[in-house]
Amino acid sequence: MALFPITGRFVGDFVPHLVAVDTGDTMDEVAEKVAAHTVGHRIPRPARPGGYDVLLRDRLIPPATTLADVMAETEVLPLQWFDVRFRRPEAADA
Amino acid sequence: MLLNRDDWYETSRDLDWTLSYADPEVAFPARWSGVGDVPADAWLAWDEPFRVSYRDYVRIQREKESGVKAVSSALLRAGTYEKLDPAHVAASHLHMGTTCMVEHMAVTMQSRFCRFAPSPRWRNLGVFGMLDETRHTQLDMRFSHDLLKHDQRFDWAQKAFHTNEWGVLAVKNFFDDVMLNADCVEAALATSLTVEHGFTNIQFVALAADAMAAGDINWSNLLSSIQTDEARHAQQGFPTLQVLVEHAPERAQKALDVAFWRSTRLFQTLTGPAMDYYTPLDQRKMSFKEFMLEWIVNHHERILEDYGLKKPWYWDQFLHSLENGHHAMHLGTWYWRPTLFWKPNAGVSKDERAWLNEKYPTWEENWGVLWDEIIRNVNDGHVEESLPQTLPSLCNLTQLPLGSAMSRHDLAPHQLVHKGRLYSFDSEISQWCFEQDPERYAGHQSFVDRFIGGQILPPDLGGALGYMGLTPEVMGDDVYQYAWAKDYTAPVA
Repeated sequence: MALFPITGRFVGDFVPHLVAVDTGDTMDEVAEKVAAHTVGHRIPRPARPGGYDVLLRDRLIPPATTLADVMAETEVLPLQWFDVRFRRPEAADA
Repeated sequence: MLLNRDDWYETSRDLDWTLSYADPEVAFPARWSGVGDVPADAWLAWDEPFRVSYRDYVRIQREKESGVKAVSSALLRAGTYEKLDPAHVAASHLHMGTTCMVEHMAVTMQSRFCRFAPSPRWRNLGVFGMLDETRHTQLDMRFSHDLLKHDQRFDWAQKAFHTNEWGVLAVKNFFDDVMLNADCVEAALATSLTVEHGFTNIQFVALAADAMAAGDINWSNLLSSIQTDEARHAQQGFPTLQVLVEHAPERAQKALDVAFWRSTRLFQTLTGPAMDYYTPLDQRKMSFKEFMLEWIVNHHERILEDYGLKKPWYWDQFLHSLENGHHAMHLGTWYWRPTLFWKPNAGVSKDERAWLNEKYPTWEENWGVLWDEIIRNVNDGHVEESLPQTLPSLCNLTQLPLGSAMSRHDLAPHQLVHKGRLYSFDSEISQWCFEQDPERYAGHQSFVDRFIGGQILPPDLGGALGYMGLTPEVMGDDVYQYAWAKDYTAPVA
């Protein structure tokens, strides 16, 4: 596995960040790394943490999927934009 | 009998000759003149209203210099600098660090006009422009040198452009493009007409008024004196536009549309925070948006109409950006304050916040809620939570953070692949600018590109600060040490 730079935007924040993730990271791990720069800094922590969703090109990626899995399926270039948001109940069931 | 100026002026400024021993294309390469498809005799119509001779120029400039120097010496003796509000002082640090060497770059641009402009009248006026810009550089250097004993940040008037500080890289990238990399025609439209005749009004008129109100008469006087020169040599833009509109209107439209957006983004960074956040509340004259609407927007609309051009296709997005872009740049620069060489004022005490909400009705929803979390952290004793742990993603056109052109609700990916590399943009407009001439911009590496390319070591925020040349004595921090946040603590029963 290898370090990989992404553009990570936490939905609701005003800037995306340069985030170093690992190609072996699951989407849950990617989400934590992106959210760490926003949640509790400019966006309040939720009263009851419920995890995060990760989206690529508006498509929700299952939380257990690794970045390497995503890269095998679609083109992901260095600094690719990923969205992360608080998990929505319907998304958790997806 | 001595001739009157009007008897010899036309002959003097039209001095030119037909080349017979040298190829005109070698003597005046199109790469530098920028004539493109405009026929040579079209430039005979190039004319300017400032009928200035060298003798007049020297006399007037000498009087200006004497005035600025006299005011400066008197105020230094009176110790007025020590009495200034520290938030206002930060605006002068920012200005000197990001402007002084731009003036020096402009000397090179004007010297290109002197040598390569396609009209002898233009080459003649370029001489005065070159001397103007030399004067401005020296004025900034003298002002900063006089104040070095008070604050090492004034060293950045000279030092900044020799560092890799990210904001300076953004400013340098813009002026490299519109001054040093541009041919005479492009430079006249982008720099003389758009930046100098339009946008510098914000820096040299609005900021001068705020500086005067803040008691910084020395700086205000310097800015106003510089503006008198800008108003003259900026005139090189209009006759250039006139010629281009007649012979290549599409080129004129595109050049202005690109320059106007890039200038907007620059001044949202340099002047917006200084006007709406650093200037003490009771000394503010106008909001940044009000000034932009009155001095820049109306002015630009008039120019476009007068010359038969259209408003840029992005006009509505530009107006939306006026509500938001500089607030984003302010929040970003304050949050990433260790990456600055000045001390920013948060400017969000309750009174200041009320003013922001009055001037910008969407401020609370777009920006206030983000500040609330910062304020909570500061008041809970967790200042470290209000400091960055990584870099913001940057635009490959403006070099400014993605998201800093509009509001957080507008934030969306604007990315494209060019020759296998992924480029990111802060807006649809910046991406459009890039697409007009990709090779012009594609080779530049943003600060983020350098970081992931291994140029910045160690590859962490500490390494980035070192790469930027920031040292503890100049590194930015909240100018009031968070005193403003006390407004938000619950009253003690």
